[in-house]
Amino acid sequence: MEHEYILDGIHRTVSLEKKEGRTILREGGVEFEAEIRRISENEIEVRAGGRSCTVSLAGDGPRRFLNALGRSFVLSEPSRDSSRFAGSEDKEVGQAAAIKAPMPGRVIKVSVSEGQTVRKHQSLLIVEAMKMENDIRSPLNGVVKKIHVSAGEIVDSEKILVELEPEAQEAAAG
Amino acid sequence: MFKKILVANRGEIAVRVLRACREMGIPTVAVYSEADRMSPHLRAADEAILLGPAPAADSYLHMDRMVEAARQAGADAVHPGYGFLSENSDFARRCEGEGLVFIGPNSRALELVGDKVRARQTMEKAGVSIIPGMKSIPRTMEECRQAAQGLGYPVIVKASAGGGGKGMRVVSEEEGLEAAIEAGRREAKSAFGDESVYIEKCIEEPRHVEFQVLADNHGRMVHLFERECSIQRRHQKLIEETPSPALDAELRDRMGSTALKVMAAAGYTNAGTVEFLLDKDRRFYFLEVNARLQVEHPVTELVTGIDLVRRQILAAAGEPLTLRQEDLRQRGHAIEGRIYAEDAGRGFLPSAGKILFLKEPHHPGVRLDSGIAAGWEVPVYYDPILAKLIVWAEDRELACRRLAAALSDYVILGIQTTIEFLRDVIGHPEFRAGRTHTGFLGRHFSDWGEQRGDETARRLALAAAAFDGMNPAGSGRRASPASVAARRPSPWDSLGRWRMGEPS
Repeated sequence: MEHEYILDGIHRTVSLEKKEGRTILREGGVEFEAEIRRISENEIEVRAGGRSCTVSLAGDGPRRFLNALGRSFVLSEPSRDSSRFAGSEDKEVGQAAAIKAPMPGRVIKVSVSEGQTVRKHQSLLIVEAMKMENDIRSPLNGVVKKIHVSAGEIVDSEKILVELEPEAQEAAAG
Repeated sequence: MFKKILVANRGEIAVRVLRACREMGIPTVAVYSEADRMSPHLRAADEAILLGPAPAADSYLHMDRMVEAARQAGADAVHPGYGFLSENSDFARRCEGEGLVFIGPNSRALELVGDKVRARQTMEKAGVSIIPGMKSIPRTMEECRQAAQGLGYPVIVKASAGGGGKGMRVVSEEEGLEAAIEAGRREAKSAFGDESVYIEKCIEEPRHVEFQVLADNHGRMVHLFERECSIQRRHQKLIEETPSPALDAELRDRMGSTALKVMAAAGYTNAGTVEFLLDKDRRFYFLEVNARLQVEHPVTELVTGIDLVRRQILAAAGEPLTLRQEDLRQRGHAIEGRIYAEDAGRGFLPSAGKILFLKEPHHPGVRLDSGIAAGWEVPVYYDPILAKLIVWAEDRELACRRLAAALSDYVILGIQTTIEFLRDVIGHPEFRAGRTHTGFLGRHFSDWGEQRGDETARRLALAAAAFDGMNPAGSGRRASPASVAARRPSPWDSLGRWRMGEPS
């Protein structure tokens, strides 16, 4: 049975096949056998090549959090991939880029106005969370199309803060 | 001794202090905000009182409510922990006026050292070398511009009431000065309620070395040696250790004596820390006094064997200090890694959310000061520190290995944390060589998120995810192996040991 995942932004296909009591895994062109068992609700043991690793995992809606060998991964399924890069461009409305809140917090300053031309890395606004100011910068050269928030406003993660219209050249190139 | 102690804090430090009280047989009362109703620190106390709404200004920073809670609970002493009201001299004075003992320095000393500008003046007069900088709070931007020009860029903007890097900004050229001062003021205002900032010369690539001091109310004082806290991001410490790889006995002695001189000049009582910057030529400059228990106090406890919180409580109760400088020794090496709810791969953005799964490391020589629990939601309102992982070992190299191993076994799912980042820092050859400075992370780890990669771990995670997808938890197939031992060669065979974060 094939499983498709988005792991750290990269599409991965794993197939897990049970054959005569054995489990054969295929991933990234490699095939191997493993012994896999559930230890607890959040822990799965994978044994292969005489070694053992306990993988921890927990789900939160469409996202799943995993830890193997001390490394953490966020995994989602392609159809409902929610692993958007926060604070970066996200092409949604035509060619406009939506700048989203990277975390829940409070907008403390909006440094640009609608219609303003912005350079790549220019500060757009400042969002404070956990007592730290986070400078949200423009990912591109362009024009501020719409500002969705104002200073003092509390925003949730993923909330669209600003929409940018990329510079003509860049839009053509991209 | 005190009849009851109110711990005016939250999270791991509240738990730490509450436990010390419990060991001393002193009843305790915890306080909490509406966002912290389910917080683990409440379970470490004998009773708990609600302060008010989630924002710190309405709860943990609200003096009236804090004093009222103490009165209501019948507490006769308040331990402020770190942050919040811990270095607020108005609060200390208020406690004194209400007949509550503030477990910390006397309000006069607190006021002096809490005002960074006045503290610098006092120390300069006492013959302690300080970093060149403004000697008073500037009133205009022009004043700042002139001062910065006179000192020469890079300069550093600091909050007068500051600490923990809040309100602090390095400015490398004049163009960025105004924005830095503006941001520094805003951050200082929101963190400390005081927007005063000033400018100092920025010493390049210094080590941050601080000395722990303990003083009683009767003029006796000892230092408990140094802590090196050079591994910082945004001027906030991430890894602390003692002894410092940069100090020898002679320099340690000189810095220790200077620390005592600083505290004597301030008329200091209780536990406090004198921070220095140590430059490449082994010159050291007084930075500031942290008039509270430090986040990183456990490393000192592990190498000296002294319980600092207990000593704070004893000193506040008026007991004379029984420690003598000549009896104090540093034994072995201790390192602390701070576990923050932050995404180290994305510029240490705070990562609030629910802790879906928690597995804590249990190794010999490992201490975990934690304020979290599985199922608990990390609030967005406060400092994102979750826990501190501290190890002790016979020497620095062994301590590094021990910390790396413990970090590998520390699993927090549901939010991003600094665990993996810490392990990579501990594993870095320059860190292992002891070549640390406050710009260390900027130099060696600025692109960390992009370069981290580990195909083995990734493949294991995917295998487990696929298995989980086919055999969901609770489907009755628990503990039944999906297959028997592998027979054909597998990619795992070519790999080394699966323990990671240790030198191979």
